[in-house]
Amino acid sequence: MTAGIEAAATQAAAALTEPLLVVEHVAKSYDLNGQIVPVIGDLSLTLREGEIVSIVGPSGCGKTTLLNTLCGLLVPDSGHIRWHGREVLGQPQNVGYMLQKDLLLPWRTALGNTLLGLQIRGVAPAEAEDRSRAMLDQLGLHGFADHYPSTLSGGMRQRVALARTLVNEPDVLLLDEPFAALDFQSKLLIENDTVALVRRGKRSLMLITHDIEEAVSLADRVIVLSKRPTRVKAVYDIELGGERMDMMAVRESPDFSRYVRRIWADLDVVLQ
Amino acid sequence: MTADVDHAPAHPPASQAARRRWSRFRATLAVLATQLAILVALLAFWEQATSSNKAFAFMFGSPSAIGGFLVQMVRDGSLWRDTSITGLETLLGFFVGNFIGTLIGLSLWYSRFVSRVVEPFVIALGSIPIIALAPIIIIWFGTGLVSKVAMSTLSVVIVALVTSYKGAVGVDPDQINLMRTLGASKFQVFRMLVVPASLTDIFAGLKLTVGFALIGAIVGEFMSSSDGLGHAIFKAGSLYVIPKVFAALVVTIALALFLTFLVGKIERLLMPWRRRL
Repeated sequence: MTAGIEAAATQAAAALTEPLLVVEHVAKSYDLNGQIVPVIGDLSLTLREGEIVSIVGPSGCGKTTLLNTLCGLLVPDSGHIRWHGREVLGQPQNVGYMLQKDLLLPWRTALGNTLLGLQIRGVAPAEAEDRSRAMLDQLGLHGFADHYPSTLSGGMRQRVALARTLVNEPDVLLLDEPFAALDFQSKLLIENDTVALVRRGKRSLMLITHDIEEAVSLADRVIVLSKRPTRVKAVYDIELGGERMDMMAVRESPDFSRYVRRIWADLDVVLQ
Repeated sequence: MTADVDHAPAHPPASQAARRRWSRFRATLAVLATQLAILVALLAFWEQATSSNKAFAFMFGSPSAIGGFLVQMVRDGSLWRDTSITGLETLLGFFVGNFIGTLIGLSLWYSRFVSRVVEPFVIALGSIPIIALAPIIIIWFGTGLVSKVAMSTLSVVIVALVTSYKGAVGVDPDQINLMRTLGASKFQVFRMLVVPASLTDIFAGLKLTVGFALIGAIVGEFMSSSDGLGHAIFKAGSLYVIPKVFAALVVTIALALFLTFLVGKIERLLMPWRRRL
């Protein structure tokens, strides 16, 4: 009896002290025609409150599998994933998820797409619309709320997808190469906006990317993954000083290119 | 140096828009004129070939004779009566068949188990030629409206089932994952994602099944009936009045075109996001 209360108390205390997200010794493999293919070997990492972490790794190293596992879309074979000190069954609360594909519903306008999450959770329509309009305005899409996705540019569509994620006010954003399909200018602009909104809202961000420069310029910490079966190869605390709201200015610092070169070396890409 | 910066204004001036619309209209006009010319040439050749030869005229009819029968059918009211009866049978079969088929097809999305169980049965049913069922249908449902609607429904239902099921399972799994991370229940995923995403396939099925529904109704009328376009074709055919067969066929084609046109209109009404594509 007392033991149960004590255990609950320690768990509560752990929830207070533990980082936002703790991944411990997670492994995941796929069954491909009877052949077991290990994708994630043994992966441990943490994401602290208000932190931006980038994850880079060689192509096909199971980054997307990792993200889907964190979101509760896949169940790991072994290991633990704790959000706020607790293991969650199914989808964790207050986690926003965004992919390279904008996944906008073509039959909904920009506004309709943005308020999707609010509608699913049963927020009153008027409130959902107000919040969504405000979010679209913040992301520079004022006047495009009633446009269908087919009439928007790639950058604008990805902004709508970001608005759809952010309007739910998630504590954590999990982004899987969200800007990879955009041209350089759109990418820098949307990166700036994303970082500003994350920092201002005291949210946390985990960004999975191929783009080392993007990883370094945005993140407080860069985690480099190994080839499959994936494990953590190296971790870099990125110290570039200041507020780092301007993704172009960040790239001019000499430390920036030093980080990029070291991570590039870690990735061990074979040039042909 | 060529600076290829596109300075085209977002909204072209009215005159430019008008010019573009005019050139598009002219292109459409050219297509229509050519189609009309081909039709006129064919009819002229047909008329010419059959007017000089009595046997030919008997075997193949002639445009003028067909026109004569059409006028006669309008005068004695049989055109309107037959068309409305066949049209009603077709529409009822079309709606019932598509409703049932789409309902089953979409709900099969819910359970991988059920859809796998059902699959061979659907294929088996789909491979039955509907004409083969006609005698049984007449025995079961009589010679009136119901048996034709049943024939029409049967011609439609499997196609509607297969196309809507294909649409439902073709939904991007990433899109379903996204809905789930937003907290959607399975029913919400179904209602907000799967159903609207399947609309494109459902409408492709609807357009296809307009013809099938009409064929079902007409085959039913062939077997046993006292009115309808199928009855008119069958009766004229057995009396060797070939121009009248063609006249009824022309009306049938017109009916099919009209119904297809209606489906297209409804499609554009229901899927406004596709208008600008």
